[in-house]
Amino acid sequence: MTRRQFIPLVGIAATASYASIKFQKPPKLPDGPVGNSAVAIIRARSYSEDLVSRMLDGVRQTGLDVRGKRVLLKPNLVEFESSTVINTDATIIAAAVELFHRLGAAEVRIGEGPGHRRDTLDLADDARYRATIPKFESIFTDLNRDDVSPIKGFADEKEFYFPNTVLGADLIVSLAKMKTHHWAGATLSMKNLFGLVPGAIYGWPKNKLHYIGIPRSVAELSRHFRNTYAIVDGVVGMEGNGPIQGTPKPAGVLVMGHDLVAVDSTCCRIMGIDPEKVEYLRLAADLGHVHPGRIDQRGETIASVQTNFALIDEFASLRLA
Amino acid sequence: MGDLYLESRLDFLRKTQNSDGGWGYFPGKHSWLEPTTYATLALHGTPGVEPTLDKSWNLIRSWQTAEGSYRPSGQVQGGTWITAHVVTLASVRGVYDDSVRRSVDWMLSVVGAEHNYLMRTAAAFHLLKTKLDVSHAGWPWREGNAAWIEPTTHTLVALKKIAGKYQGAELAQRVREGEAMVLSRRCSDGGWNCGNPNVLNFDLPSYPETTGLALLGLQGRNSAELNDPLNVAQKFREETKSSLAKAWLTIALRCHGRNLAAPQGENKVSSDVMLAALEALGHPDGNYALLRTGGPA
Repeated sequence: MTRRQFIPLVGIAATASYASIKFQKPPKLPDGPVGNSAVAIIRARSYSEDLVSRMLDGVRQTGLDVRGKRVLLKPNLVEFESSTVINTDATIIAAAVELFHRLGAAEVRIGEGPGHRRDTLDLADDARYRATIPKFESIFTDLNRDDVSPIKGFADEKEFYFPNTVLGADLIVSLAKMKTHHWAGATLSMKNLFGLVPGAIYGWPKNKLHYIGIPRSVAELSRHFRNTYAIVDGVVGMEGNGPIQGTPKPAGVLVMGHDLVAVDSTCCRIMGIDPEKVEYLRLAADLGHVHPGRIDQRGETIASVQTNFALIDEFASLRLA
Repeated sequence: MGDLYLESRLDFLRKTQNSDGGWGYFPGKHSWLEPTTYATLALHGTPGVEPTLDKSWNLIRSWQTAEGSYRPSGQVQGGTWITAHVVTLASVRGVYDDSVRRSVDWMLSVVGAEHNYLMRTAAAFHLLKTKLDVSHAGWPWREGNAAWIEPTTHTLVALKKIAGKYQGAELAQRVREGEAMVLSRRCSDGGWNCGNPNVLNFDLPSYPETTGLALLGLQGRNSAELNDPLNVAQKFREETKSSLAKAWLTIALRCHGRNLAAPQGENKVSSDVMLAALEALGHPDGNYALLRTGGPA
């Protein structure tokens, strides 16, 4: 073996051992922002319940004023598999549209830019969005193919493009699905923001984000978009080999709040995942609260709804002790 | 019925052209290169459109970067995979000038970032989380990123179409490499997805749209070699719920000489400009043959 052949191998070995060390002794998390974050856990055992009332309860417990604001709802629409639980359920989105109208929003739109499938409108059709959500087509934007504008400073990129629908929103509501994820450990309200990135520029999948690094991209999206609120659909989540090939896992909850880091940390604890071991939450720990002592848990307690989501071997180490 | 299907789509395209000569992904939106390419191909050769298509072509050409690549729209800086579309369109228009040659040069200079020594070494030691064969060079969505099926197949179509004009052995070599990359990424179910057939030892399913695109890029290969994937594509076409996938599969299967029935009772035109154009292209009387290529260059 020549020296030139050997050096990359040393690099790989060094990276692997660093990752191992990093995993065994993670550095202390930053304190996070001043004050605590309110996160509401609202019980919702099925999609046929009065979800608007449940969400109103969550909003009351976490506080949210959307009067006169342009609200963009961002569901997690991924695959043509209407018989599974891959996508945010249509009833959740319909309830959120009604919720934000009731709360006095000036405009409520829905936008999504799926990461792998290009036919967003048919995807929405298959997920029963068109059938369930009144006037769906007139309020929906395919974020993959929207007109765009550049922003500066995203993940140290000189310029990065986002859809004008996203940049024009006063509030982005991440209507995520509670799922395990084969790259990130879990996909929740923060990872859901990947769908804000336009495929027409960055491709299907949005490979640029992979090169920035998936955990870092998740954290940077939350860092850039601070005008957010989360409603995570955990009525029926997905466990095992998520976010696509896993199996349904009823958790019977909606998890809501302004602080996406705190919402996702709470979701992780409900799923039996240690949020302090989820890399994107660690990277975003200066933006919001991971530590349970800094999260004001409203509604149900975590203990009363906690249900371990099955994890693939790759992420078995994330299990909450 | 078939005529109405085609005419309604062409009429929609004529009515939704922007004043700058291009098309947005949806009516009333800014012009983008991708829908403009497909609308132009769909309308190519139809009566009375030459002046408007010349305007489209001039708009597209104004988006070329100094390095020869093309920007995806007037609002976006930097060239991308979309450059392949311009080369294909140039070939259809019979244009081969210095501007086109620079685009081809740029495409030949771009390689998927995973095709490097370090990644190949990591793959040899099974250190990757995916079972990717990184030994073949494909094309990325953007320079500096990994190669995927869709940008690779669009580039293969463009290079094969322009091959007779371009001087240099590198083009043929890259076409062979690109085809090998596509073939190496076939999923276990017989089709193709975006380009990742296995993650963490779990086989991932193929998608109908990328299966159609992959077959478009593999035109000219041994027909026996493609028989199975073409059958998979035909089955996908019958079953898919995606109009876009159906359109791509139709174009690919027709380019491979498969006999398909004309669409029946599907005259409602989508508000999606690119979809309308692809559906028009795939009609038996449409311009799908403009995407037909020969074999390896």
